[in-house]
Amino acid sequence: MRCDRRRAAALISFFLIASFVQSSENQVLVYKKKYIMGTIFEIAAYDQSSEHASNAIEKAFQEVVRLDNLLSNYKSDSALSNLNRSAHFHAEKVPSDLYRAIDQAVQFSRLSDGKFDISVAPLVNLWKAALRGEGTPSRAQQEEVRSCVGYEKIDLTPPDRISFRSSCLQLDLGAIGKGYAVDRAAEVLHSLGIRDALVNAGGSTIFAMGSPPDQTGWLVHLRDPSNKIDPQVMLKDGSVSTSEQTAPSLLGNDSAGHIIDPDTGMPLKTVFTVSAVSRTASASDALSTTLLLLGPTKGTALIESMADVSAIWISHEAHVETVTGGPQILFGRGL
Amino acid sequence: MKIGDMILVWVFVLVSTSAWSNVFVHWTSSALPPAKELGLNELVLSWNDRFSPQVKAARRQGYRVYVEVPLHQAAAAAETGASGLEGIILTVRQSERAELEKSLPKLRSAHPKLRFVVLNPDGKQPEMRGSLVIKRGSVLEVSSPTAQPWIDSNLALVKTEQRSHQGQVPLYTFSWGGLSDSGQQQPALTAADYSLAVAEAGAFHADFILKLDERLQKALSEHDPEAWTLWNQVRSYANFYSHTAEQGMEAAANVAVVVDDLDPPDEVMNLLARHNLPFTVLRPPDLKLGELEGFDVVVVFAKPDRGACERIADLATHGKIVVLVEAHGSYPWQSRDAVRLNEHAVSYAFGNGKVLELSEPVTDPETFAQDIRRLLGKENVLMSLWNGLTTIAVPYCEHGGTVKVLEFVNYAEEEPLRVQVQVKGSFASIRYETPERRCCESLVPIKHNGFTEFVIPELRIAGRVHLEANQALNSRARGASPR
Repeated sequence: MRCDRRRAAALISFFLIASFVQSSENQVLVYKKKYIMGTIFEIAAYDQSSEHASNAIEKAFQEVVRLDNLLSNYKSDSALSNLNRSAHFHAEKVPSDLYRAIDQAVQFSRLSDGKFDISVAPLVNLWKAALRGEGTPSRAQQEEVRSCVGYEKIDLTPPDRISFRSSCLQLDLGAIGKGYAVDRAAEVLHSLGIRDALVNAGGSTIFAMGSPPDQTGWLVHLRDPSNKIDPQVMLKDGSVSTSEQTAPSLLGNDSAGHIIDPDTGMPLKTVFTVSAVSRTASASDALSTTLLLLGPTKGTALIESMADVSAIWISHEAHVETVTGGPQILFGRGL
Repeated sequence: MKIGDMILVWVFVLVSTSAWSNVFVHWTSSALPPAKELGLNELVLSWNDRFSPQVKAARRQGYRVYVEVPLHQAAAAAETGASGLEGIILTVRQSERAELEKSLPKLRSAHPKLRFVVLNPDGKQPEMRGSLVIKRGSVLEVSSPTAQPWIDSNLALVKTEQRSHQGQVPLYTFSWGGLSDSGQQQPALTAADYSLAVAEAGAFHADFILKLDERLQKALSEHDPEAWTLWNQVRSYANFYSHTAEQGMEAAANVAVVVDDLDPPDEVMNLLARHNLPFTVLRPPDLKLGELEGFDVVVVFAKPDRGACERIADLATHGKIVVLVEAHGSYPWQSRDAVRLNEHAVSYAFGNGKVLELSEPVTDPETFAQDIRRLLGKENVLMSLWNGLTTIAVPYCEHGGTVKVLEFVNYAEEEPLRVQVQVKGSFASIRYETPERRCCESLVPIKHNGFTEFVIPELRIAGRVHLEANQALNSRARGASPR
């Protein structure tokens, strides 16, 4: 479906005086960043004590590192890699976070009729080679790999057992893992008394807790490939994620891309970038990919069946489709 | 592809020095610890009214003293301090480049005992940059022109400086972002911040003026133990690059970037650097087959005149891939069969090579860099890194020989990475050293299809890999080398 590597997806802004200075309410803003999960995690948090905020952020980062060691399919010793090696026709006991992440992913697969599918990894890997210039995979190669794909071949047995009903099924949590980690990082911050913070996973998934002092929320500028619209959303205790297909080659005619359509087994062809706003980062992360794959018509129908979700599709030519079931998406510039 | 042929791709850039990199310390505080304690003895002072007494004091402390002056004040500074100075560092802005050409020979002639060095002051603080940018009294905004994670690196600047001042090792500096004049309380610079800056210059084989926070200068002068702990780490990095890692090493590249204007380096070069595609910066007159023997891809941003067009055609005839950006003219290769690649790109087969015309500017440097990697082809990519998104690697090789050294810089600083590396060539021995753990740890090479793979177990800020080729293959390669 897609790898971890998504384009910088959002423009974020919020009004404040400066970092590390006292605000009018004696709230100190502390900002830290850390390279985890193949991207830069950033956390900005307000608290009366900079030391307390700093320690809380470090704890949140530690949680993301812990989750990366469970959910990564790049790390050969991760819990996910172990599962990918051993769960074929055999129920494996897995850590609770891995179980929850896969369970949530499968729910989105059902919701989207299989458009969102964490078992698409073999196809992603096949097309990654094409992205590197190693040639387009043959039809036979594609068909062979497609037989390995299908979320319905994943069996989840509560509370913690998973098995695959296929000999070649492989899972890749790239389309939901960062969102899951952002949610857990926010939980850590909250458990340590932080009420107002922004957690940003590489710009593609952002979770806003509370709001900056004297503000109603965190104003997040969304990705706008047309540079004509400047869409924005005021986030408070909510998340936004953005997905778009790999940019087309400037010097070639290939149609490779990192987001694969499970229906065709080929890279998705779309003119849109999608931002999805939801209550949790896991949901916004999974939804942004799903909505990109579904397109505006089917995507709108899906969102209308859900609570508290908004979304926007924007093309390079400033073709815009929005659906608002949650926070309102505003336009900084006129259409 | 034969090993000997593969060696042809290694092309060598020009400068070789007695040291890998020199760090000059820029000092602004009145108190100064002795050079013997600081461990670095090249000191830079700003030119002002109190300049002569400062120079004398610093010399007494054991320093070789340089003064940094704008170009238009260089003559006056040289007259005033000629007796005590080691040299003059000239701050030259883009608009003064033409003036520099005239002034520099005169200055050198008038003051033969003084060393005159050209400084590029427009470097940037090396860092892994997030997307939240906090601004005073305004908005906090994201600016990430390419995919995450974004790295601010000075490699493109160094490459352009190598072409701008061919007789001099590039010298640059930058102002720390955290030391703005906004009056904010900023977090103090850490040992990792300073070490990364030093490591970057060292890995790029450039000289560097390190600006120290005044608080650190004061603390060092007052023998603050924490300050000296920090400084000792920075000093170990400076020392790591102060000696020549291997004799006769030259930067290797197989992509040439041809530009009219050498200043400032553009985003395309930054992205080539980030994608670990070793490149050299050239001017249109450099477009000669003899000069470009080892290059596989030549990217031309310059507007080619008739002579340059002929040279481009000659390069393509001899098997090179030439990419002409913003091509809007009538060119000799257009008489050949054209293959339209997309709305903006056309390819012309020409001789053993081809010319690709892109009718528009590079709108997406990230995608363009990936295109260049594809054009090189798997067999011509000099090196590839995995788990290296925050890492820049620079290969060095012997003149006319194989690669011998790879320098690595990790911009994620404190996050040790396990980096997988594939380098072109067949190497029997791979040794790894870092400023923290000196030479050398042996790494296991895995050889296949003309490439060698190995894993750097823990790259913190900087590391260096020494490669030794199979003797027999090495001999064949030397025999096949054009130089």
